[in-house]
Amino acid sequence: MDAPVVSCHHCGEPVAGGHAATADGPAFCCEGCAAAAAWIEGADLGSYYRLRSANANRVQADRLDLASWDRTELLDEHSRAVDGGREIVLLTDGMRCAACAWLIDRALAREAGVLDTTANAVTGRIRIAWDPARTTLSALLHRLAMLGYRPYLATGDAREQARLSDRRRWLLRLGVAGLGSLQAMMLAEALYLDVNATMPVPTRDMFRWLTFLVSTPVVFYSGWPFLAGMARELRARYLGMDTLIAGSTLLAYFASLVETIRGGTHVWYDAAVMFVFLLLAARMLEQRARNVATAQVDALARAQPVFATREREDGTRESVPPSALRIGDTVCVAAGDGVPADGVLLDQDADFEEALLTGESRPVRRRAGETVYAGTTCRERPARLRATATGNATRLSQLAELVDRAQGHRPPLARVADRVGRRFVVSLLVLAVCVYVGWRIYQPERAFEVTLALLVISCPCALSLSVPAVLAAAHGALARCGVLATRPEALDTLARATDMVFDKTGTLSDGRPARVAVDVFNGLDADAAARIAAALEKDSGHPIAAAFADVDARATAQGVVAHPGSGVEGEVDGRRWHLGRADWAAGREDDGGLWLGDGTHGVARFILSERPRDDAAVALDALRTQGLQLHLASGDSEGAVQRLAHALGIAAPLARQSPEDKLARVRQLQQEGRIVAMVGDGLNDAPVLAGADVSIAMGEGAPLAQQAADLVATGPSLLRIADAVRVARLARKLVKQNLAWSAGYNLLAVPLAAAGLVTPWIAALGMAVSSLVVTVNALRLARDDRRLAA
Amino acid sequence: MNILLMLLPISLLLLGLAIAAFAWAVRKGQFDDLDTPALDILDDAPPRSSAPPTSTPREGDDGA
Repeated sequence: MDAPVVSCHHCGEPVAGGHAATADGPAFCCEGCAAAAAWIEGADLGSYYRLRSANANRVQADRLDLASWDRTELLDEHSRAVDGGREIVLLTDGMRCAACAWLIDRALAREAGVLDTTANAVTGRIRIAWDPARTTLSALLHRLAMLGYRPYLATGDAREQARLSDRRRWLLRLGVAGLGSLQAMMLAEALYLDVNATMPVPTRDMFRWLTFLVSTPVVFYSGWPFLAGMARELRARYLGMDTLIAGSTLLAYFASLVETIRGGTHVWYDAAVMFVFLLLAARMLEQRARNVATAQVDALARAQPVFATREREDGTRESVPPSALRIGDTVCVAAGDGVPADGVLLDQDADFEEALLTGESRPVRRRAGETVYAGTTCRERPARLRATATGNATRLSQLAELVDRAQGHRPPLARVADRVGRRFVVSLLVLAVCVYVGWRIYQPERAFEVTLALLVISCPCALSLSVPAVLAAAHGALARCGVLATRPEALDTLARATDMVFDKTGTLSDGRPARVAVDVFNGLDADAAARIAAALEKDSGHPIAAAFADVDARATAQGVVAHPGSGVEGEVDGRRWHLGRADWAAGREDDGGLWLGDGTHGVARFILSERPRDDAAVALDALRTQGLQLHLASGDSEGAVQRLAHALGIAAPLARQSPEDKLARVRQLQQEGRIVAMVGDGLNDAPVLAGADVSIAMGEGAPLAQQAADLVATGPSLLRIADAVRVARLARKLVKQNLAWSAGYNLLAVPLAAAGLVTPWIAALGMAVSSLVVTVNALRLARDDRRLAA
Repeated sequence: MNILLMLLPISLLLLGLAIAAFAWAVRKGQFDDLDTPALDILDDAPPRSSAPPTSTPREGDDGA
């Protein structure tokens, strides 16, 4: 295969033979892509190819059955009435960059009957408003599917609206905080500049009351999430970060109010509002960075099947939306389909893949009478079940809710600050009471002023800002180098990782195995063998499928079953075939080739070869210099793995590893006290990815693997992993520095304040400077990443 | 210093206007998608020719 690889004009996949040859026009890998590109050019939307920054999805030529999208039951639940029509929010999996969103907007706008559309590439959501009298929803969705964007149901209209309005409320809070603190600062500036107290008292008081006026909405409207958090924590009799934040805000605010009323020497409104604004901004940035990573993967994982098949009393079947299922209905699930509701399995045993629920990607056998859950996928043979829970009562919905709550939780790093903060607040309050009592005895007229200065100068702003500021900067830096963190604790664990285990297929190699040679036995010719193999691999999503992507399968395989670590099995033209390692497919000694056979006799042997990725050697060197030990555990044959490991200088590679072997290897390393990072991309890797301390999925891999991973690399470059490790370590270092700084600052400032040596004016300055130092330190991360390799 | 008595209410008024404008923009969905609209100016093609008829005013995103 030394011929130059021609990439498909639309999706970028390699083209060989087939549809490549128009004299000098662009090449296409399949009819689907060719049709999509022809339509795009014809509709005068060719700019898409210029604007895009990522390749499109490969278009499935098969026409999807989308008729069920037009059912009124579905529309009732997922869409709402707007002026002149209806509006629906749906998900798609193919939006990879802003140009996709642009294309979708333009393409749908050309359809008759479309009122308005918005596509958002960040969240993977498309909002369509259409006039049901002039077009059907399914016609519009066919247009989307034709361009390679397959529609999925979103989580229901109510939830989508709630998500949107929640985001808007946060934005509004941030805006009010920003504008309000700007004004408060301006007014406070006038007071600060009056160093010698020459300002007439009425003017000064007017300034103070005006500052009070503008900071009130900031503290109570913008700062509401913190206040509510404090209320929650106090109800649970627990002092956490929100108590710390809300406490110090309220302290600065009310202390200023008291000083304003009694005409004291200083007010601190500006400190209170600036604090609220900075914390809100840090929280939003961090959330946005995480949302980019989770919005699509997460929502797709929760996407429900569009319709369910219900069996009537008389044994005939009808298809209904999952929401129409009632407890006690009999539901039929075809092999490969998602289960629409929780239910008890009837008739015979069946296998279900429960990765979504348990993280275990291997199908689990369920016996008749056992419960199977919505969101699992029926494998190998169809099943019938009696529904026991539907809609929001299913285990999947409950889990999704749990995930929502877990995402709101703070990572372990933040919990450290939480713990420190709690002790800090308690001891500070005790100390403040002691100081007040002490001064009351010693010099009663200074007691209030000194206590106030103590509370203000020790204000835990720096402490509570230290972690969120770094996290926000780190997520931003990671996103810029092309790695998205989907779990909050991922950064911390990645920074501590000592070992990195690679899965070979597609991770270190370029993921496009090519057929080097075909040996045929028993009279089948090479082309026919390749066609059978292509039919079997067609929809498997396994990287090996790429080796047969150029073959026109013609026939379709029936009842395809994947056996992880062994191969695939299925029926083509009435014959049962095995495609995989020799001992399983052809009943002979494993020799490293890919065999096609019936399980006992082999008819063809394919030799596949993979090259290491161009950047693999450089990336591995970078990881070694970072002190990581590298391992290779692959499901591929001994020879191929040895060749690759030798080329890249990895010692002791493990070949022919089943997912269980890989997981055992990871567990063994963990028992030796090592912290394991796993890099993988295959379906087989999902359990290992879930089992490792921290896992990274390559962006081109199987969706399931991405979902089990803590971090997703958005591009194929391995250098990103080294960058991610660097950013994670730097973030951890900065958090430590910040915590040390705020602790040191307090150790110095609190005794001085308690001794009455600090005026409230210096206290306010010290508080502002300490917060600023922490923020600027965190921003070093944002600056530093520009020096990283691309 | 009497000029302050005029300037301060004006600044407060401007603050109120700024917040009102921001709230309006957020409600209208101006900040919902910050990536796609940036591409529009890079496209040389004339704006969509088959704009929907004026009888159906384009509905903003304000139903939240």
